[in-house]
Amino acid sequence: MRRAAWLLVAPAVALVVVLFVMPYANLLVMSFFTPATTAPYEPTVTLGNYKVALADSFQWRVLWRTLKLGVLATVATLMLGYPLAWNLARASGRTKAALLVLLLSPLLVGVVIRSFGWMVLLADQGLVNSLLRRSGLAPGGFKLMYNEFGVLVGTVHIFLPFMVLSIAGALENIAPDLPLAARSLGASATKAFWRIVVPLSLPGVFAGCLLVFVLTVSSYVIPVLLGGFKVITTPLLVVQTAVDVSNWPGAAAQAVVLFAASLACIGVYVSLMNRAMRGLSG
Amino acid sequence: MTRSKLAHGAFLLLIVALYVFLIAPIVIVVLASLNSGRFLVFPPEGFSLQWYVKFVNSRAFMRSFMFSLKLAALTTVIASVIGTAAALYVVRRARQSTTLRLLLVAPLQLPGIMTALALLIFYYAVGLGGTTYLGLLLGHVLVCMPYAFLTVSAVLYNFDRSLEEAARSLGAGAWRTFARITLPLIKGGVLSGAVFAFITSFDQFPISLLLGGVGTTPLPVQVFDYLRFSFDPTAAAVGTLNIVITLIVVIVTERLVGLESLYWGGQR
Repeated sequence: MRRAAWLLVAPAVALVVVLFVMPYANLLVMSFFTPATTAPYEPTVTLGNYKVALADSFQWRVLWRTLKLGVLATVATLMLGYPLAWNLARASGRTKAALLVLLLSPLLVGVVIRSFGWMVLLADQGLVNSLLRRSGLAPGGFKLMYNEFGVLVGTVHIFLPFMVLSIAGALENIAPDLPLAARSLGASATKAFWRIVVPLSLPGVFAGCLLVFVLTVSSYVIPVLLGGFKVITTPLLVVQTAVDVSNWPGAAAQAVVLFAASLACIGVYVSLMNRAMRGLSG
Repeated sequence: MTRSKLAHGAFLLLIVALYVFLIAPIVIVVLASLNSGRFLVFPPEGFSLQWYVKFVNSRAFMRSFMFSLKLAALTTVIASVIGTAAALYVVRRARQSTTLRLLLVAPLQLPGIMTALALLIFYYAVGLGGTTYLGLLLGHVLVCMPYAFLTVSAVLYNFDRSLEEAARSLGAGAWRTFARITLPLIKGGVLSGAVFAFITSFDQFPISLLLGGVGTTPLPVQVFDYLRFSFDPTAAAVGTLNIVITLIVVIVTERLVGLESLYWGGQR
């Protein structure tokens, strides 16, 4: 019995190794194969897919847009998420339970359904535009979706709870007497907040930003539904290349480039954050 | 004094606005499903159940709906068993092994659409064929298992093993001890893991999009195909149904083990 204990973990390990590690390794290998017209690929090694993925100006524009949307969504969720996290961290008892339910219940509804909710709100004949027209504020209405704005709204909505939970976790770990001590030593409430609370919450901000950025640059549903194929991002291009054009090596190379580019962004961000943290402690 | 009160009021207003922003699209889906017009406008045009009738009469939607329910149920059972067993081993025998833990939650770390693409190409390469039911099911189990693993692990960390030792010393066999002592005590973790797994599978999109085939189209993909090129409020009826099912699952769990355990993985 004791010796056979590893059998407990064997199915899970087999599942992840065979259906996760091996497929990704296969994807990486695939990115060096030659695209073919009669089969999905030809097993002759080439760097051509990367040449296409890196030299084609269309693909560059798509990658740039993807990363730009990632940064914009991260900044927006941070700005909206910090006040929410601050409020959540200071609540207690029933209020806190209710706030958590409000915050987490959107996560229980599928991303397709939530995108549809935004379509109802943001469409040309949607609720927001009908309100704007009726109230006379903007008789022409605004173009609120099938553009980058719509994609951004949907993305921020989907990922905001992750940011809030991440920051609230850090805020809750700050000993409540620290800001009080600063106050008693003569700091104003604003100063205590910016000099004590904000720096100590940075690890949560850091984790939240990373999470939102990674989730945004790889999201697929929202750019399709709220961008209406007018906002092409790299995940869309990857799926189009793989499924519609059946160019698997090309799609694999695009996916690898996206991973590499987001890793590079994360690297820059991590080194900037490290410098900021060191500046604080020094 | 009044200025700080004003600032506090403005802050609360901002918080309320942000929660409205979070909840709005979900409330809107429910309202749109009950609206008689194609578009939800202000003022509302009237109440109607026509989108629900359209949903029930749509063979494609009903078939996808039943298919998704069955797929999610089967996925939940498999993912829960595999995930619970893995958690028992990792927490009790390999607590120090970070590698093992990271490996088991790895499917949550990479984007679903990329995992789906990797699986599609891999299935083809090993000769399983691109879109089979087995392939789809395994893909779902892959992304749902980590939830079961995580929630059960969380409970097991605080588990008092002396109860099991007592049962064993009183003559209970290994299986009997597991069934009568261990399982009832980790029930919260197992159930919340199962709820997460069910919801993740039922709402799963990327894996289903690339691995689902003709006749095996899960509901989110069916809805997505509808919305891609047109704007049809039948999707709102489907969405509302989806929300209701999720609510039922969550409420039943709440009655059984408490909602806290759902959010905190049974830790508190």
